[in-house]
Amino acid sequence: MHAMALDAVLMVLALGSYAVGALALVVYLFSREGWLRNFGATLAVAGCAAQFAQLGARYAETHIWPLLNLYGSLSLFSAMSVAIFIAFAFRYRLWFAGGFVLALAAIFLAYGVTWNEGVMPAVPSLQSYWAKIHVPLVVSSYAAFLVSFVFSMLYLVKYYANRRYARNGVALAPAGDGGAADPALRDTPALAAAAEGGDAVAEWFGTLPSLAQIDVLVYRTVAVGLPLLTLGVITGAAWAHEAWGAYWQWDPKETAALASWILYAAYMHLHTRHAWRGLRCSWWSVIGFASIIFCYLGVNIWISGLHSYKV
Amino acid sequence: MTRALTRTFGNVTVGVALLALWGVLTLVGVVVEQGKGAAAYFASYPAPIARAIVRLNFDDIYHSGWYLASIGLVLASMTIATFTKVIPRRLPPRRAVTIDAIPLHAHVTVPGDEATIRARVERFFSTRGWKIVRRDIEGTHWSFADRHNWARIGVLVNHTAILVIAAGTILYWARGFAGETAILTGQTAQIPQTRALIRLDRFAYTVAPVLTKGGMLYQPIDYVSHVTVVGRNGVPTPMVVRVNHPIDVDGTLVYQASYGFGMRFSVTHDGKPVPALSSRTLVEGDALAIPGTTQSVVYERFVPTVDRRTQMPSSDPRVNDPAVILSLQEDGTSLGAVLDPLRSSVDLGNGWRIVPQRAVLYSGFQYRYDPGVPLVAAGSVLLLIGLVISFYFLPARLHVRVDPSGESACTVGLAATTVKGYDIFETQFRELVDELRKRID
Ligand code: HEM
Repeated sequence: MHAMALDAVLMVLALGSYAVGALALVVYLFSREGWLRNFGATLAVAGCAAQFAQLGARYAETHIWPLLNLYGSLSLFSAMSVAIFIAFAFRYRLWFAGGFVLALAAIFLAYGVTWNEGVMPAVPSLQSYWAKIHVPLVVSSYAAFLVSFVFSMLYLVKYYANRRYARNGVALAPAGDGGAADPALRDTPALAAAAEGGDAVAEWFGTLPSLAQIDVLVYRTVAVGLPLLTLGVITGAAWAHEAWGAYWQWDPKETAALASWILYAAYMHLHTRHAWRGLRCSWWSVIGFASIIFCYLGVNIWISGLHSYKV
Repeated sequence: MTRALTRTFGNVTVGVALLALWGVLTLVGVVVEQGKGAAAYFASYPAPIARAIVRLNFDDIYHSGWYLASIGLVLASMTIATFTKVIPRRLPPRRAVTIDAIPLHAHVTVPGDEATIRARVERFFSTRGWKIVRRDIEGTHWSFADRHNWARIGVLVNHTAILVIAAGTILYWARGFAGETAILTGQTAQIPQTRALIRLDRFAYTVAPVLTKGGMLYQPIDYVSHVTVVGRNGVPTPMVVRVNHPIDVDGTLVYQASYGFGMRFSVTHDGKPVPALSSRTLVEGDALAIPGTTQSVVYERFVPTVDRRTQMPSSDPRVNDPAVILSLQEDGTSLGAVLDPLRSSVDLGNGWRIVPQRAVLYSGFQYRYDPGVPLVAAGSVLLLIGLVISFYFLPARLHVRVDPSGESACTVGLAATTVKGYDIFETQFRELVDELRKRID
């Protein structure tokens, strides 16, 4: 088959796998049917493999590093988000959150396809081996932050659900050693009490990890993202030193990345304080991801600078 | 007073607030375009906001007192915290604990006598990288297993790394310099700080026409300057400067930055050449004053290719059908502009005529001497090492005691603590205990 046609086929395969996989895993989140998890997980792995194969096919055909425009970088972003999630899901049994990750990956990938301008050789400043190192690192860090964003949202949903049950006057289970019978509800006493009383929604919340465990997941994914972002900023600086004559130019892109880096460094410090773990840290991570999206897409699309690589 | 100040500055929450301030100021500089004149801000923002931008120095925020102060405060807070919090915090002493009072605890009952089981438990942990220390505390025998204790220096490594990067930046401010210069083909420029000479022998650029969905696009592929450099050793040395391939002239790096076209014009008055006005090569934006008038002619721009169909400048940067855009100005206001093909004459009035004769390529260079680069690079490497240590090597301690339970069995009591609370170790602790259960028999 012609490589460019292969490229299109793989893209459709990836998008289709993500869309169906997202659906399967969202249904799994509510039904906990084992076969849905296996089906969704298989599609996630298949979609991710198709994406990497697609990027490979593009490179084989054009001999142009495929990540240097928004189309290529968004492809890698969604592929890496799924890949990082898969690694976490296997390690910590987290497939219940996969629907959201796959849905976001599908959306970003579909959006990326709208920026596909065909085959373009790289401008001189992008013809550097640094491009092959810097871009994947930065994009992978964004991907890790996407996964931590999904966990933060789950934290917030569970936290506010608990608060709502508490407000609605659910009789609290007596505080014992560790609280409720269900360890996943140990730090959400109102949900635990409602679940004991047979409330189906509260029981469903018992299928998610405890708040403290979700908070740890957020922390662990940030702990993947922050070193990657640091490495990304450093390799970017090394490249800039070679291409533009100064490792730091206050270009909007690098500056926005610095702002996100600072936000996540602050997150990490907040997480060392007991009182700030959980709720406030989750909100902080949501804000951090907003700054990442601004840095990634906002700056590319709205703000011009040395780094604009829209087409 | 000093103590109150140290306490405040060493507080992590204050540190985070300062980091947040630094982050927000950094973002302001992304959103507000930097380095425009005041008029540009008044044109794109409501007057009160534009006034605030200019007054608060948000138009050049990264060089403003605000910004430097925010970084200074972050560094001060970080340094104080390091000395008051991070360094003094030693490993807590090994002491007896109430196993059940620690959230991460487990009991495993194993047949066998106390000494054998203790030895087996200790072997189980030591073969998995835990360092075992035994203590007799008030008649009870405790085994303490520590893991990644050394990793407590991670924070110190990170904070030191940030200071090293800051030191590298300060070294550039104190001792470095940077500048830019454009050199016409055949001419020589000097780097004033080092007196090195750079002569541009030839500049060439390559462009690829690419058909995209949006139409024809001319993608630059390569910019190359062939130069002859005379540095401190006085020997003329031929060198090649390309984008991404700067040259090193006595420690100063010279980079390919831009290019353009200079132009030789011939000027005549009443049909006679005026050599005084024809001898210079103008670069884009230069003006020639017309003698005896208040008018001047400005060489606005070189047009490499005129579109034959529309007779307008095309976007093709290759020289096929070259022309120049000239404008006539009176006291600084434009009287009009023309697109004038090379070697065709334009009537300027009063007997004056001008002919663009010959284009001369020039190459734009940036140069920079930055003695702080090795420090910044070292700090960056240190920062990465510190992050990996802090995130992937969690110092943890297990408190283990073995108590006889019944005739020929013992209960192993285990409790775990870490420097980052209990939740972060919960999964690993459960996995460890499960494995211990499986292996111990
Ligand atoms: C406002 C300035 C700062 C202050 C006051 C500060 C203070 C502290 C303190 C007190 C700790 C120990 C927390 C604990 O374990 O209880 C810490 C940890 C740490 N700091 Fe900083 N710091 C600052 C800036 C930075 C910066 C800019 C970085 C760069 C990344 C950094 C990297 C770290 C790391 C990696 C840790 C370990 C975090 C963890 O173990 O999860 N710090 N900081």
